[in-house]
Amino acid sequence: MAHPASPFLPVLILLLVAAVTAAAILVLSGWVLPLLKPNNPQEAKLRVYECGVPPLQTGARHKYSVKFYLTAMLFILFDVEAAFLLPWAVNFKTALWTFGAMLSFMATLLVGFVYAWGKGAFEWER
Amino acid sequence: MIIEHIDAQLPGTITDRHDFRGDQTVVITRENLLAVVDLLHREGFQFLVDITAVDWPEREQRFDVVYHWLNLASQERLRVKVPVADGESVASLAGLFKTANWFEREVFDLFGIRFEGHPDLRRLLTWGDFQGHALRKDFPLDGGDVFCMEGCTAPYNNGERS
Amino acid sequence: MAELDINDAVLTTRLDAVVNWGRKNSLWPMPFGVACCAIEFMSMMSSKYDLSRFGAEAMRFSPRQSDMMLILGTITNKMAPVLRTIYAQMAEPKWVISVGVCASSGGMYRTYATLQGVDRIIPVDVYVPGCPPRPESIIYGVMKLQEQIEKESLSMRKDHIARFYESLERQDALQAAKGLTSQQTIREMLMDAGERGVGTIF
Repeated sequence: MAHPASPFLPVLILLLVAAVTAAAILVLSGWVLPLLKPNNPQEAKLRVYECGVPPLQTGARHKYSVKFYLTAMLFILFDVEAAFLLPWAVNFKTALWTFGAMLSFMATLLVGFVYAWGKGAFEWER
Repeated sequence: MIIEHIDAQLPGTITDRHDFRGDQTVVITRENLLAVVDLLHREGFQFLVDITAVDWPEREQRFDVVYHWLNLASQERLRVKVPVADGESVASLAGLFKTANWFEREVFDLFGIRFEGHPDLRRLLTWGDFQGHALRKDFPLDGGDVFCMEGCTAPYNNGERS
Repeated sequence: MAELDINDAVLTTRLDAVVNWGRKNSLWPMPFGVACCAIEFMSMMSSKYDLSRFGAEAMRFSPRQSDMMLILGTITNKMAPVLRTIYAQMAEPKWVISVGVCASSGGMYRTYATLQGVDRIIPVDVYVPGCPPRPESIIYGVMKLQEQIEKESLSMRKDHIARFYESLERQDALQAAKGLTSQQTIREMLMDAGERGVGTIF
């Protein structure tokens, strides 16, 4: 008796095509392209482009503090944690296992929190 | 009409005048420039159209700084010429007329005539450390460029002398 | 001024042929449009004369995103260092077409203000004469460049580009040493070269 074609066959084909494409791109750009492209690294090519004139020192290049970036990054992390917490909290049925799972998730993030605290990431004036 | 006004109110300032096909021109001395400009402004010649200069190397006062004015109300135009010798400077109109700022910089760049009272007198059309003043009659047309076709290697000759 | 002489017996292989075919049919122009020739360029790019049928539709005004620089118009001595910097910032492979007589030789402007030909400061591959050249002439220039590209080889060393970068370093050194503006530095380099009897500074 012939096996009926599995409904998951297209998925396998897609997986193979994706793998082959990714591999081809990597091989071509990593090994084939360096043979074909002209290789002439020059410092002048890396200069800031400002229509051919030396970059003006005035402009919009104001240094701003990295504190803002730090604050934003920490916010994202703990905000996402809260976002994961909320649906769990809504669907929580009293059971030790689910509670323990969420506790371990928060414990992982707690480690990061304590580390950031210790490093002074929450101090604005530093 | 305006020339009669100048004659009446500032007698002796006009050293010469001529008229070509309706173009009125007066020649004044550089000391009287501000007074005449003041009078012109009061009489309605409030649009400074151009400031330029001409080099007459055989004359003692070699440059002629030329101003053009337009009376927007009466549509009259007037040309004012101010003879200046090499090294002498002219009063700047940059405080009175905004356009005079760059016009005078252009005249300084191309002729070397300095304007007293100009806030920022530097070259305009040529680059910062250009040597010489380009529209003077003794400035070579090609700027002293040694490049010429004969006897030079050129890219299109593949390095051979032509 | 490509150091490309068919008599140099440059062997083009099959691989070269494929690569050159790809390069010549996808030349992305960077119009360095400064004067009247740019108008002719505009009409060339629009539908009547249409350069995009040669693969050159993607006109990019950034040197980082193009491979063929079309110099369209009179280059003054004040603009010369700007042109050099922009050419330097192009990624290879790169080619230059000097469009019009002003860019090729200074044109009718034999004066203190005009650079007497852009090939004094930059390597040029194709010159298109005309004042301005008709759009068909500029297209012919691009076709000539395509013919040149066909004859290139991956193993060929582009001497003129290497010399250009050396001259750029010399220009920077001279400018730092003497404290002049970049325009005056280039003028001095040109005068030096002219005294030696060489037409270019690279």
